[in-house]
Amino acid sequence: MTVAAAEPPRAPLAQRLGTHLASYGGFIPAIVLLGLFFLVPLGIVVCYSFWETIDYSVVHHWTLDNYHYFFSVSAYVTTMWATLWVALVSTAIAIGLAFPFAYWLSRYVPRRLRLPLLVLVIVPFWTSYLLRVYSWLTILGEKGVLNRLLQWTGITHHPLSVFLYDRPAVILVLVYLYFPFGALTLYSSLERFDWNQLRAAMDLGASPLQAIVRILVPQIRPGLITAIIFVFIPILGEYLTPQIVGGTGGVMIGNLIVNFFQAAEYTRGAAVSLLIAAFIVGLLAVFRKSLSSADAYGA
Amino acid sequence: MTTTVPTPIDTDPAAATAGIQLRGVVKRYGAQVALRGLELEIRDGEFFCLLGPSGCGKTTTLNLIGGFVAPSEGEIWIRGQRIDTLPPHRRPVNTVFQSYALFPHMNVRDNVRFGLKMDRVPRADSTRRVDESLALVGLEDFGDRMPAQLSGGQQQRVAVARALVKRPAVLLLDEPLGALDLKLRQRLQIELAQIHRGVGTTFVYVTHDQEEAMSMADRIAVMNDGRVEQLGTPEEVYRRPSSRFVADFIGDSNFFSATVDGGIAALVDGSRVPCGAGSGGAVLMVRPEAIRIDAGGGSISGRVVQTSFLGSFVRVAVETAASEAPVIVAIHDEAAVPQVGDGVSLRWHAADGIVLEDRE
Repeated sequence: MTVAAAEPPRAPLAQRLGTHLASYGGFIPAIVLLGLFFLVPLGIVVCYSFWETIDYSVVHHWTLDNYHYFFSVSAYVTTMWATLWVALVSTAIAIGLAFPFAYWLSRYVPRRLRLPLLVLVIVPFWTSYLLRVYSWLTILGEKGVLNRLLQWTGITHHPLSVFLYDRPAVILVLVYLYFPFGALTLYSSLERFDWNQLRAAMDLGASPLQAIVRILVPQIRPGLITAIIFVFIPILGEYLTPQIVGGTGGVMIGNLIVNFFQAAEYTRGAAVSLLIAAFIVGLLAVFRKSLSSADAYGA
Repeated sequence: MTTTVPTPIDTDPAAATAGIQLRGVVKRYGAQVALRGLELEIRDGEFFCLLGPSGCGKTTTLNLIGGFVAPSEGEIWIRGQRIDTLPPHRRPVNTVFQSYALFPHMNVRDNVRFGLKMDRVPRADSTRRVDESLALVGLEDFGDRMPAQLSGGQQQRVAVARALVKRPAVLLLDEPLGALDLKLRQRLQIELAQIHRGVGTTFVYVTHDQEEAMSMADRIAVMNDGRVEQLGTPEEVYRRPSSRFVADFIGDSNFFSATVDGGIAALVDGSRVPCGAGSGGAVLMVRPEAIRIDAGGGSISGRVVQTSFLGSFVRVAVETAASEAPVIVAIHDEAAVPQVGDGVSLRWHAADGIVLEDRE
């Protein structure tokens, strides 16, 4: 090995360290914020999930019991699968509705009408989340609009309670709540699409469906996946909607966590929370490649 | 697709020899009429141009043949088969779009292959045809590039290759050179004409650029306000325009209000000039290069107000009492160019004085 002949004289260590730190100075506020409001709370939850609750107080005794406990109670595991199922179905329906809407809006609606329509999609966000969920009670409830309509038209004679307090009601309300996220995300990626490409595809012999699947969908994939993530992940953590309209039949994993914390079983609640978080992180890791499209198509 | 079995109702043996026929095609958009009963017959294998200003109905005509627009009335036939009732993907027609509409997520090869894939052409066969098609447009080494890595001219050629690989009966081209600069446009005009001769497919080319139409087309349909004003070879349309619109749209021209009788036109200033057949009140049209400019002895006298050197010729503007606008004369012999302010005399052969109907 040869040594570099004339190595430039090195500045004193302290000075080099100083300039080194100074170049990262701009990150300090971000690091403080992230640390204080994200890393520290997360650290606490992680610690809790490996500690024990004895007589309503947390004991700093390292153990995997909280995780063992969750998987040993079959009702919890069932709820976990049910939550996944509800989230999948709700996401599928919400995106299934949002895609045609965004497609129609970006392709067929005149430009000047798009903004008013987008505002209509956003308007519900100006109302409290709780209020929007409760308002479904007045639609689906025993004395709700739906039952009155059915009785008035003579289809039924007694109010039905089947609309509420089960999974279908939860899915319906979740679709309603998360449709705007899907629609807005999809619209923003469809808006930039050159519709002539679909014409070209059909000109070359593709049916309308083939043109959409082979030409449109691959190009809006990042937007599509973002939309799915925006809808699917919050739904996984939902607990108010199932609590209000789901009754006992619509319990989701979020309700379990709330129950644990209300019963002062902090460590078990923390473990379940981390299970969801870990699942989501895994999910994002899988989708990570599809989301990075900065240098797509060799542009 | 060309293999579609025609049903008895939709075949017409008499029309089988014609490439494309438009019969009484009307297109209305609400109260607006884009096409007013278009009758057009495009021969099999010819390079046909639809030429006209924006809004004349040329693009609508193209979209009707391509199937992206449905006619309000009338029928469209290709090689004896009625096609106006078929969706775009079932017509023996492919299109080169103005924006090219290449698929940005596929490389050049897959773009060109797309149409064959839709037709379920076997892999080996399609690979050979894609190679042929890319060679035809001179892009055999660019198969692995993405569209975004190509220049405008190369993208345009991919669009042509992608459409031709399906061997359509008709290739539609919607102002395909519109986005390119002049030099490249002229080069691609030559290439497109060569490609046309090579494949023998009927080309229907839409443009508002008369020079482009003249340089490539076998025949031109000059369109205006939803009608075909004139149909003919570039030479016919230039030398014997049928209306003032055509004369004005194609090439430079001088117009004089005139009263015509027996090969002589009386102009508004009282001068009498030779002209072609016609009678009564009319518009006399003379091309700038048909006018001879002399010091005296001509039919119209005037004064030179401007001379412009334009490279291959000098354009001289002569103010006369016979027309409102200065008369434009093109002179190729630089020695014969008069000075600004000179009094000159203009004349032309009777055959160059075209008599047109007096309507705007």
